[in-house]
Amino acid sequence: MTTPVSEPALEVHDLTVTYQRKPALWDVDFAIPAGVLAGIVGPNGAGKSTLIKAIMELLPTASGYVRIFGKSLEEVRGRISYVPQRESVDWDFPASALDVVLMGRYRQRGLFRRLSDRDRRIARDCLHQVGMEAFASRQIAQLSGGQQQRVFLARALAQEADLYLMDEPFAGVDASTEEAVLELLTRLRDSGKTILVVHHDLQTAARYFDWMIMLNTRLVAAGPREQVFTNEMLQETYGGKLTLLQAVGNLAGSKGLPLRE
Amino acid sequence: MLSLKELLHFLSLSEPNIRYVVFGTIMVGIAAAVIGNFTFLRKRALVGDAIAHAVLPGICLAFMLQGSRSLWVLLPGAFVSGWLALLSIDWINRNSRLKPDAAIGLVLSVFFGTGVLLLTYIQQSGDGSQSGLKHFLFGQAAAILPGDLWVFGLTGLLLCGLVALFFKEFTLLSFDPDFAQAAGLPVRRLELLLSTLTVLAVVTGIQTVGVVLMAALLITPAAAARFWTDRLGAMVLLGAAFAALASVLGSFVSYQQPNMPTGPWIIVVLSAIAFFSMVFAPRRGGLARLWDKLRHAWKIREENVLKTIYHSGESLGDFTAGMHIEAVQGRRAFNPWQLRLSLFTLQRRGLLQYGASGYRLSGEGLREGARLARIHRLWELYLTEYLRLAPDHVHDDAEAMEHLITPELEAQLEAALGYPERDPHDRDIPR
Ligand SMILES: Nc1ncnc2c1ncn2[C@@H]1O[C@H](COP(=O)(O)OP(=O)(O)OP(=O)(O)O)[C@@H](O)[C@H]1O
Ligand SMILES: [Mg+2]
Repeated sequence: MTTPVSEPALEVHDLTVTYQRKPALWDVDFAIPAGVLAGIVGPNGAGKSTLIKAIMELLPTASGYVRIFGKSLEEVRGRISYVPQRESVDWDFPASALDVVLMGRYRQRGLFRRLSDRDRRIARDCLHQVGMEAFASRQIAQLSGGQQQRVFLARALAQEADLYLMDEPFAGVDASTEEAVLELLTRLRDSGKTILVVHHDLQTAARYFDWMIMLNTRLVAAGPREQVFTNEMLQETYGGKLTLLQAVGNLAGSKGLPLRE
Repeated sequence: MLSLKELLHFLSLSEPNIRYVVFGTIMVGIAAAVIGNFTFLRKRALVGDAIAHAVLPGICLAFMLQGSRSLWVLLPGAFVSGWLALLSIDWINRNSRLKPDAAIGLVLSVFFGTGVLLLTYIQQSGDGSQSGLKHFLFGQAAAILPGDLWVFGLTGLLLCGLVALFFKEFTLLSFDPDFAQAAGLPVRRLELLLSTLTVLAVVTGIQTVGVVLMAALLITPAAAARFWTDRLGAMVLLGAAFAALASVLGSFVSYQQPNMPTGPWIIVVLSAIAFFSMVFAPRRGGLARLWDKLRHAWKIREENVLKTIYHSGESLGDFTAGMHIEAVQGRRAFNPWQLRLSLFTLQRRGLLQYGASGYRLSGEGLREGARLARIHRLWELYLTEYLRLAPDHVHDDAEAMEHLITPELEAQLEAALGYPERDPHDRDIPR
């Protein structure tokens, strides 16, 4: 079940991705409108990270294509920001929080060019937006998991993009960071940006997102949350695998949890 | 044997031969150390080793074809075969299911094996004996000629210049290649450049330290420098300084004892520097870590003593009653000396008061004791509820966790459990 979208920010057409011939994504086809905070949910191994990586062309696709703001990735790359899973890098790297955020400025600056004072100002401002300005010069290994996640978000902000693709920005963060991150994403959305977030927790998904993509190797559903985040769709997405999650899904579907805070 | 006069004479560099060796090894060492930072940070030490071994067949073939052992002839051969090895590793990784380390091992042994075969062949075929090619196994810095210095100097400059030019790109590539690619950096080409520079550094290094030890020249300076700094720029400079120092000292040893080889001595000195860093560096070094561990053990002991006194008060229903050392010892077996020491420091910190009736908790001590008991019981409850462990299996784990759990975790734990009042053993969870 997918909802058609006119003037989408992101369109994924019949995307199939395989790892050594084993499909991780099968004929996935959906679109999301501009200005939404969209969540990708699905069980472990559903292909959520694969989807984001394929959109960013970090993986070869077996078939299908992606359009962003109606163009190819190469044409609009400067308007897109990618936040990898926090575990995808080794944080015991000789860099400070500010150094990492500055990495978000490399593209604007171009090859060979040195970073300018303006870049530094922007980076500091981004750290400030995620509440990490006090940790600017802290070595990244000495940050907690939630703080590292915030540094990644600040780096994405420094890219000044229009479309943000984030892989599990809420994973392994404490409750206060989770609220702070959510507030930040909502603010971005309200200023007209489009945000696509891989998310694990169904209980909060109902509250956080206004657009949902439900994935389990194939696309189960994509559309406005209140239309697709239903008992039936959750069951189809999660199968009988996770009874606990199913229970939560039932709760969300039948009782209609508060849709926005 | 080791005389200051000799060292000074050596350092004055008045003998041309000393000059060649010292300058040559320094240039090679610095170039390898600079590029080695990225090899180290990208965890490609094994690849570096494979490339180093893989240049041997290139050297032999170049010699067989051209019949000269001038560096201008041999190095291109070395470069090509090092590069081929790199491509082979890449190709195997992409097109087979072999694990990366297996691919590296395979390429290393095939190339090096071929190299040794060719070397044996050359040595048995007349003119090979004076070719001196076998020195490429362990290096022969003493044979560095003025012309070689040009080769080293130019490649060194080229290499350092390119690293300086691409410093931020190489940094991002090492830290987060996916992000780099997503941001539109030409990751493939940058990787190729970085690998090519690594091969170049390796190729120039084999004359001084040889193929077998070359990887050490690449990796050790960076590994040692990492202990001292958390900034990449400083790490690069420090690694280069270590390499230069090791080159000078290694050259000096072999100058003093002419039958001592320079290259291996450079590596010995580098390893000594790395070992020293590993033990003595502040914060990251072994001693600093040991000290942290001791402090943690100390803290655990103090907390256990405090908790014991708290438990006693709890069971009496009276926290004001004092407790003598023997009574504490009776509730829980402590090492008597450590117990005395802990009681003393707890008293100094104002958590315990000492009176005629023995030790008792101060107001602050009572709060701290309650906190420890609370965390312990919350954790036990969490384990029994969430992991369905039997109540009699959770004590030891809680015993370890109570010293680690931070206030934020504690708050989360309480919330997750719904602010419980009783633990699995039906004891109160103090607030
Ligand atoms: N590099 C890889 N090589 C082979 N198979 C892979 C690779 N990466 C992922 N897979 C497989 O592809 C499928 C989808 O993986 P993916 O990481 O996209 O899932 P996910 O939805 O992000 O899961 P999680 O919730 O655990 O993050 C899984 O079955 C996984 O085992
Ligand atoms: Mg994932």
